Amino acid sequence: MLRKRMMLAIGLLMAFSMVLTACGGTATPAPTTAPATQPPSAATQAPAPTAAPTAVPPTTRHGGWLDEIDVSTVDSSSAVTQIQAGAINIYADGLSPADLQSIKSANLSYGTNTGLYYDMMYNPAVFKDANTLNPFSDRKIREATNMLFDRNYINQEFYGGGALVKFFPFITDGPDYTDLADVAKGLEAQYAYNLDKAKSTIAAEMTTLGATQDASGMWQYKGKPVTITLIVRNDGDKTRIGIGDYATKQFQAVGFKVNEQYKSGSEASPIWISSDPTAGQWSAYTAGWINTAIERDGKGDFDAMYAPDSAQGINPMLANTNIDPAFLKVADDLNNGNFTSLDQRRQMMAQAMKLSLQDSLQVWLVDDQNFTPYSNNVQVTTDLGAGVEGSQIWPFTIRFKGKEGGALKWATTDLFTDPWNAVAGDNWVWDQALVKATSSGAFMLDPFTGLAWPLRASKMDLTVQTGLPIFKNAEDWVTLNTADSISVPSDAWADWDAKTQTFIPAGDGKTAKVKAVVTYPSDLFQTVKWQDGSPLTPADIVMNIIETFDRGKKDSPIYDDAYAPTLQAWQSTFKGIKIDSTDPLVIEYYTDGYVSDAELNYPGGPVAGQQLIWPQYGFGEAPWDLIAISNMADAGGKLAYSTDKADAKKVEWMSWIGGPSLDILNTELTTAAGSSLIPYAPTLSKYITADDAKTRYANLQAWYKAHGHFVEGTGPYYIDKAFVTEKTLTLKNNSDYPDLADRWSQFSVPMLADAKLDGPAQVKIGDQATFDVTVTFQGNPYPQKDVKGVKYLLYDATGAVVATGQATAVADGHWQVVLGSDVTSKLTAGSDKIEVAVSPIPVSQPTFTSLTFVTTP
Amino acid sequence: MAVAAQSASEISKKKSSSGSTLLRVGRYTAIRLLTLFVTVVIGVYLTILIANMGGYVDTIMKSQITERITQAAAANPTFRSMTPEQRQQTVQTQIANEENRMGLNTPVVIRNFTYLANALTLNLGRAINMTSDSGSKEVRLIILERLPATLLLMGTSELSLFFISLLLALTLSRRYGSFWDKLVILLSPTSTPPAWFYGIFLILLFAAVFKLLPFGGMIDSPPPTNPVDFALNVLKHLILPASALFISQFFLSIYNWRTFFLIYSSEDYVEMAKAKGLPPRDIERRYILRPTLPTIITQFALLLITVWTGAIVTETVFQWPGLGRTFYRAIGFFDTPVIVGLTIIYAYLLAITVFLLDFVYALVDPRVKVGGNQ
Repeated sequence: MLRKRMMLAIGLLMAFSMVLTACGGTATPAPTTAPATQPPSAATQAPAPTAAPTAVPPTTRHGGWLDEIDVSTVDSSSAVTQIQAGAINIYADGLSPADLQSIKSANLSYGTNTGLYYDMMYNPAVFKDANTLNPFSDRKIREATNMLFDRNYINQEFYGGGALVKFFPFITDGPDYTDLADVAKGLEAQYAYNLDKAKSTIAAEMTTLGATQDASGMWQYKGKPVTITLIVRNDGDKTRIGIGDYATKQFQAVGFKVNEQYKSGSEASPIWISSDPTAGQWSAYTAGWINTAIERDGKGDFDAMYAPDSAQGINPMLANTNIDPAFLKVADDLNNGNFTSLDQRRQMMAQAMKLSLQDSLQVWLVDDQNFTPYSNNVQVTTDLGAGVEGSQIWPFTIRFKGKEGGALKWATTDLFTDPWNAVAGDNWVWDQALVKATSSGAFMLDPFTGLAWPLRASKMDLTVQTGLPIFKNAEDWVTLNTADSISVPSDAWADWDAKTQTFIPAGDGKTAKVKAVVTYPSDLFQTVKWQDGSPLTPADIVMNIIETFDRGKKDSPIYDDAYAPTLQAWQSTFKGIKIDSTDPLVIEYYTDGYVSDAELNYPGGPVAGQQLIWPQYGFGEAPWDLIAISNMADAGGKLAYSTDKADAKKVEWMSWIGGPSLDILNTELTTAAGSSLIPYAPTLSKYITADDAKTRYANLQAWYKAHGHFVEGTGPYYIDKAFVTEKTLTLKNNSDYPDLADRWSQFSVPMLADAKLDGPAQVKIGDQATFDVTVTFQGNPYPQKDVKGVKYLLYDATGAVVATGQATAVADGHWQVVLGSDVTSKLTAGSDKIEVAVSPIPVSQPTFTSLTFVTTP
Repeated sequence: MAVAAQSASEISKKKSSSGSTLLRVGRYTAIRLLTLFVTVVIGVYLTILIANMGGYVDTIMKSQITERITQAAAANPTFRSMTPEQRQQTVQTQIANEENRMGLNTPVVIRNFTYLANALTLNLGRAINMTSDSGSKEVRLIILERLPATLLLMGTSELSLFFISLLLALTLSRRYGSFWDKLVILLSPTSTPPAWFYGIFLILLFAAVFKLLPFGGMIDSPPPTNPVDFALNVLKHLILPASALFISQFFLSIYNWRTFFLIYSSEDYVEMAKAKGLPPRDIERRYILRPTLPTIITQFALLLITVWTGAIVTETVFQWPGLGRTFYRAIGFFDTPVIVGLTIIYAYLLAITVFLLDFVYALVDPRVKVGGNQ
């Protein structure tokens, strides 16, 4: 009897569990009601809640804060659980907004950075089939669809409110947006969700195009329903499925028939990228884009995202031939930097923003966010653009709170995805994050502003051609001068002769638009060491310059077909480089390429592409001796730096971290050590003696013997051991690193401002009204000197912007907006709103807040 | 003399019989091998066609190349300084280089036959996009590198499942209608959810809640340096994924074998043996196990080659570096050489197994004759 009861109980339990299984997990219910009246604003975005700063006592520790970082791979679905269980301390690759709630529920710390951004991209072509109408070949219809999509609804419904609504191609919480907030808010109000307006505009245009509406309200053209083929991406974080379904509903609401097709990235790209737009295989596509760093300068975005001469040069842009010539001109002018002042740039940006909405080849919807969870005893810097894993600064700041040393468990998505070599190896973000931990560099990118700080360099003197739109921020390590003409010294190295293995001088009469002179500290070559113990020498830097040219020269034994176009592109702006002195090290760099921020015009910065002033190759640092043996393997046809050359030569892609490459490199090392080889002797023998070479190779041999790989740098951590199949790796502190561990401690937490707006609930039209803005950081007043400005925008009851201006600083953390009687007299009776945008200097993200008040006659 | 003559005749008959057996077996072997080879050729060619989507993969890959290179160009500030014409020219050169590297300039038909010829000769060649964990593009190394992990996981779970369920089933078949028999029948639907489903529960219980076992991976980070500790550490990581695979099939496997044995247990000759009073162990060994041996051996042989394939989702859930994940990645990358490499090895193993089984049947079951009509 007992057994029968037991059987019954087990049976019931099983049946219940089967039902549960069949039901499956349901998504966390997202808010279904869109706050349709809420104007698109960043005010609802929670500031990145990084951990509270920990008082950092002075330290004598060199290198990183931790003794050891143990790296492993973890599936993103279990990341939060594993942090909770203490199995890992950080999931560095970050999670999507869909996981934000679980991070919060687990009470974990997390960093926030910008992620993907999404839009509706249209096919602007007139279809070949004259009987098929493409409504999106009409600019006004594209423009009207801005009002067809409720971006707030999309944010709340599909991104849990964790994204930012987006109307423009540049990042919504970036420097350009803040600078142009008044323009942006005005346009956002004008193009806010308004189904009726969208419907009437589309109806008028469709009628002009010759379409008719049937009794059910569906558009017909030459006897056929007007059909939109909407390509919806169904991979990634799946949010684009929601966007696609919503767009389908909205298109149907204005009378279109929709052929909605779910496709993965690989299925979609042959259609939206490669197909002839006039063939009509698609009408609209749920596009997504990414920025991997803080975008400080979005002036090129209009050209890239709309123009037929776009740098992207893909079919949808190329087909946008009916672009407004005025828009094309301003997009091109912005892209080419054809302005001479920030005011002029601002005006051009404002014009481009307006015209981009009129063009609407792409209708921007949301800026997504990425969240990096970590345990509460961990402190790490999150780059506002690149997150933790993609940042340069993470190895310099990651630590256990209030503690020196310890072993941290770092988890990420994958490891060793491709072979590691600094010249043309693995570029996956999770692998590069670890390479960065072993590297130092001449400059450090500011994680909160996207500007740069000298790391191993000490200063830069920048001279730019008069009239170029290059402007200095508040940084004192860079000087900015102008000159009518900048001559390139005749003995500067301008090119490379691969046959004679010597540099080709610039010769007489060459000029450049920009000259950057980078100076290093006098003790550079005494204090900076490679992790195998060899001191840094000028030869390491010269080797990088040679390598940059040599791989792209047909006469070179390490020539790489795939690299040649990149070199060619870079050389179109590069004018010359000259090592002025080696004690201290001073390097002059001449170029025609530039960006607007003076600080970012260092060689190897966002414009130069090649970091010639430090032994920093494309994918990591390397000493000259390692490059020498790698060149031997590449030239000898045993290995190849790049995957392209490896495939062409049918040899292995060179890996410094594991696999069959290691034995080959070790053999080359033995050969080089035996002959104390000086590579590129006609040039490098001026910088390397036979004894130097002997010591270098011996140190590298000892390193390989101790660690079983060849990856080394000058950074705060070194790779002790790597297990490539098991996908684990151990980083250990480099106690020989010249800097103390606290050098970058000021970047522990981004100084995102908290803003509050206070003022009268009721304002009489024609009376003066005063509003107080309180700006704080972690409860303390935000210093005036750290705030670029507090801008206000005044909206009337219809949502239109009636006035903008700057608030007046009263004290630290206190600004005031005074609306004069002339301003309040522009308001009409009803509910009005004032919004302020606070732009702090230490971070590139503005803070918005608003207050609603009633106006009475 | 007559006797002698008779003996000579018998010997002659025996020789003739022996010669005809050899001929029969030889002919059978040749036909069988040819048939299996043709089957393998057709199977692999179909795999290549499917992996290439009849050539459509070329279009996909070309689009991906264009997307990747154009977006990289747009993000590269040095390209912004170029004229649109220069930029387009540079981008087009890069696209052409990349298409050439991937072999997309060779007509797909020629590539398909090259893949086929290389596969049949076990010249597995180079992957298009994938690399092994140690960085090699050789398909052979990509497979070999993951093979030990897969064999360890699948071998442990499948072999233990096979033998344990076989023994338990045999025991249950003798206790038809007992409590344990009913319990197994009742629990057999527990094999409906896949292994990864149990994997998640096991992870939650033993890793997240009790913190006794690791969440996944094959080794701790950093790995132990002592070889014994290393092996024990791998075993610790093996427990949960192997258990998930084991549990997910356990009750159904017992149920299947138990039903199979029950059918044979109710044969007339078994009943006759029971009636004659033969001991149960003898009945089991001589009257049940022996006639079922070909089926058991077939199952075992097929299991051995199944071990090769890995378990895609379970390996992913446990971050186990096995061949299942490699196969999955290869499909995602449209890496035809890797897909073909994995398929051809499986196809050859299957063909060899099927071929050998014919002979094994003849050895274990006297009723079976190689190449005979029965």
